Amino acid sequence: MRWARRYAKSRTISFLVQWVFIVLMVMAIGVAGSLTNIAYRYNNMALFSVSVIAMGMTIIALSWFSVSKWGGELIWRITQWLYGEEGYVSYLGDREDGPTPWWVTTLGGGLVVYHLFGAILVSFNYLHINNMQPYSAAYMVPFLGVMIVYQRLGFWAWIWPVLYGLHAVALLMGIGPTLRGQWQMLTMIISVFGCGLIAILVGHAYSRFALWKLKRLARSGLPDCPPAEDELP
Amino acid sequence: MSELDRTIHEPARLRILTILSGVDVSDFNFLFSTLGLTKGNLSSHMDKLEKAGYVEVRKSFNGRVPHTEFVITDAGRTALSDYWREIDAIRSLHGKGGD
Repeated sequence: MRWARRYAKSRTISFLVQWVFIVLMVMAIGVAGSLTNIAYRYNNMALFSVSVIAMGMTIIALSWFSVSKWGGELIWRITQWLYGEEGYVSYLGDREDGPTPWWVTTLGGGLVVYHLFGAILVSFNYLHINNMQPYSAAYMVPFLGVMIVYQRLGFWAWIWPVLYGLHAVALLMGIGPTLRGQWQMLTMIISVFGCGLIAILVGHAYSRFALWKLKRLARSGLPDCPPAEDELP
Repeated sequence: MSELDRTIHEPARLRILTILSGVDVSDFNFLFSTLGLTKGNLSSHMDKLEKAGYVEVRKSFNGRVPHTEFVITDAGRTALSDYWREIDAIRSLHGKGGD
C-alpha cells in the first residue's frame, strides 16, 4: 500500500509534458519581450506595437492553455501515451477532484501579474536585472509550497522551491551562479525551469524505484494464481 | 473469533485490495503490469471483488479504446481492515501458544 501510494505520488511525466509546453510558450514570450525592449530602445513604434501584441497573445495563450479543458485533455493523452502499458493510478488524498478552486486561479494569475510587473520594473531600471531572480523567488517559493501541499505531491516536488530559494539567497549574497551581459535576464528563466526540471526528474527516478519495489512485493510468492480450491466448480 | 473473509483470503485478491487501498483510482493496465497476472485471471478476481461490493468498476472510452478503472469501496476498506485484525488475532494466538 505504501509503495503504491509513493509511486502514485511521484508519477511526474504529466509535469514533464506541462514543463515542455510552458517552456516553449515562455520562450515565445521571451522572444517577443526582447523585441519589445529593442524596439523601445531604438524608438521603433511599429516593431514595438507588434511585439507587445505578440507578447500579450502568447501570455493569453499560455493562460488559456493552463486553465482550459482542452489543454488538460491534451496533457492527459500525451501522458497516458508516454506511460504506455504501465497503466494509470492516482492519489489525491482527501482533496476532491473537481474544478480548480478560485484561490488557486487567483494565485496563478497573481504569479503572472507579479512577474510582468517585475519585467516592467527591470525595463524601466527600477529593479536591477541581477535582482530579478530573488524578486521572482519572493513569490514563487511560497506559491510552489502552497501548490505542493494542495496537490498532495511527493517529496520530490519540494526540491523545486528549495533549489529556487537557495539560488535566490546565493544571488543576494553575490555567490550565486548567474549569466552575464545580454544573457543576464535568462538567469531567472533558467533557474525557475532548471530547478523544476531537476525536481521532475528526481520524482520520475523515484517513481521507477517505487514501482520496482511495488512489483517485487506484489509478485512475491504470487505466480499466475489458479483459483483457490473452494472456488473450483 | 469470526471466520476469515474468503474473498480477501486469496493471495491475488489480497494484493489487489491492498494496492487499491493505497491509491484513489487505478486502471486495469496498472494492476495487470504490477501483479503480473494474466488478463483473464485478473478480470476474474476483479469480478469477484466487484460482486462482493469491495471494488467499484468505472468503464469509459479513451477515443475508441475502452478504459476500465477500479476504486476500492468503503465496504472494501472495512473488509480489508477487518481481515488484518483477524490475522493479527490469529498471530497473537500463535504467540500465546509459545510455539
